[in-house]
Amino acid sequence: MATENRPTGGLRRSLLRRTEWCYDRLDEYGLLPGLTHGIALVFVLWTMFPVYWMVSGSLRTRRDLLATPPQWLPSTLTVENYVQLFAQRPQFYDYLFNSVVVTAGATLLAVALGTAATYGFVQYDYPFDLGRFHLPFTILATRFLPPIVTVIPLYRIFDATSLLNTKFGLVLAYAAFNVPFVVWMMKGFFAELPDSIVEAAIMDGHTEIGAFLKVVVPMVRPGLIAATIFTIINAWNDLLFAVILTSDTSAQTLPVALATFKTAYVIEWELLTAAGTIAMAPVLLFAFLVREKLLRGFTMGAVK
Amino acid sequence: MVRVSYDDVTKRYGNEIGAENVAITIEDGEFAVLLGPSGCGKTTTLRCLAGLTDPSEGEIYLGDEPITDVHPKNRDIAMVFQALALYPHMDVATNIGYPLKVAGVGKAERRERVEEVAQTLEIGDLLDRDTDQLSGGQRQRVAIGRAIVRRPSVFLMDEPLASLDAKLKVEMRNEIKQLQRELEITTLYVTHDQEEAMTLGDKLIVMDDGEVQQVGTPHEVYHDPANRFVAGFIGSPSMNFLRVRRGAPNASHLVSDRDGSEWSFDYETGPAVTDGETPFVLGVRPQYFEVFQSPTRGTIEARVTVTEPMGDEQLLTVTPVDDEGRELTVRVPMDVGVARGETIWLGVDEASSYVFDADTGERITEGGQRTTTTPATD
Repeated sequence: MATENRPTGGLRRSLLRRTEWCYDRLDEYGLLPGLTHGIALVFVLWTMFPVYWMVSGSLRTRRDLLATPPQWLPSTLTVENYVQLFAQRPQFYDYLFNSVVVTAGATLLAVALGTAATYGFVQYDYPFDLGRFHLPFTILATRFLPPIVTVIPLYRIFDATSLLNTKFGLVLAYAAFNVPFVVWMMKGFFAELPDSIVEAAIMDGHTEIGAFLKVVVPMVRPGLIAATIFTIINAWNDLLFAVILTSDTSAQTLPVALATFKTAYVIEWELLTAAGTIAMAPVLLFAFLVREKLLRGFTMGAVK
Repeated sequence: MVRVSYDDVTKRYGNEIGAENVAITIEDGEFAVLLGPSGCGKTTTLRCLAGLTDPSEGEIYLGDEPITDVHPKNRDIAMVFQALALYPHMDVATNIGYPLKVAGVGKAERRERVEEVAQTLEIGDLLDRDTDQLSGGQRQRVAIGRAIVRRPSVFLMDEPLASLDAKLKVEMRNEIKQLQRELEITTLYVTHDQEEAMTLGDKLIVMDDGEVQQVGTPHEVYHDPANRFVAGFIGSPSMNFLRVRRGAPNASHLVSDRDGSEWSFDYETGPAVTDGETPFVLGVRPQYFEVFQSPTRGTIEARVTVTEPMGDEQLLTVTPVDDEGRELTVRVPMDVGVARGETIWLGVDEASSYVFDADTGERITEGGQRTTTTPATD
């Protein structure tokens, strides 16, 4: 056994030594900052280019957008695509409205339920480690299934309960789908609450609910914001559930609408980019507004 | 400001006993200290009063009012936690004023009372700071400030000084005592530190194994312990316990009752056990041995294994061993010149020793009364 392991260990050590040697040389010649910034820049370009292409495309003519070779910069800027979008598809307002309502409802419900449930798991004593591990894990385990597997039974259930093609139905589906994320994200935050803080709040005059709402919730705000953003992104972007569980403008959401720009005969790229930009804007704007809290939320649970 | 009484309070956690038949009274304005080793039920007892733990049986009264069914927030009891539990998302002033805010006290009055409390605790210049910018002692003051700002009728403290360093501990101890005297708030304080308990308490409540072992002034529990546990727990270094019996019925010497060790020494005063057969336990504090440096009739021959100089005095560890198999501890003045490996002879200062039942650990006294021994100062 020991002889089998030796070459690997030796290789790993020598690789590590070489890497360290390279690192030291880069440091010696003052190239480290340039290199790290360069790598970061490449990564940012890589991620941001599709976004740039979509936003710039929405402001170009179709000819400009589809030119060969590609025109990296627009030759002219126009809002004509946006005007056309709403002129040709007045129902776009309905999709937008549905998306806002469904996302807001699902997010509120998922974050409220998930947060309250997690607090219960962490704060109160359950036998057999149920609260600390098994129940949250069971909830998370519902996400181990590919969503498509759940859609068919969900369709049958929604059909039987008249929830098909309703915004409320989508709210329920998205909330159920996102509670596991919220539970898993909030768990770390609640576990890191200082000792006795809830009891201190009770001694200071709160009820249990009051202590939760007035003392605990403000303390885990970064986590709540991160969980909220996460849920919004999931609900806002979902196509699978929306396509199958809704059938007309009374409940269909933006992703469904976006899909209709690609038909069997033609892809309306200039309208699609305009609609895509509109679909992306609200989430981006919200994330931008709370960016500091969001960042804290994503890092706090991971590293104390 | 009110009197607190526990009427046979018991708390069980499943089959575990947290506290059993606790019946104690804390008088109006009194500073009572719950003292005992960890896991003895002192915190459970305190939490029952706070309302954070529901007793399984019994009732607790504030004045004449039963409060077991009253929500903690309505009990008019404030508490300082071991972890302090300051609200990290609030500055110092907001922390201290928080109970007032919850109670709906107006902003102006709140500010006024917070400043007043901050003045008392000498943290007036810290009010705008965040709590994570404070030192340990300052955080302690904020926690105390938050507890006293609403002038509660009872003030609870659960090992509040546990996390402070030794010097600060002594400082804060004195301040807490002074503050309690000024405010005259009925106080229940939990600690496992006997020195803290002795200096702070008007009344000590010594607990072990979920049960109250003794209630009394610091002087009483030290000089007149109710049983072997209290005798051993209070006092540092702790009391030596020798398992002995009378050499013969009504003899004036005791002999060792431990297997394998043979020694006897004079003990003329008459605790009840005189039949020469019944074993009992003799308790002797380290400073109440009479130490001889040459063979003396009626003493125990002992070999010094460790000497610990402590300034004016020194601690000697000597064989034979006591009832628990530990070597005996003897405290002698520094000018008694003994070295490791030497032999000394120990007699017992009979007036300052105690007799305990070998099985139950209860104190045995003449005529069923506890004899209060000479309150020797040490």
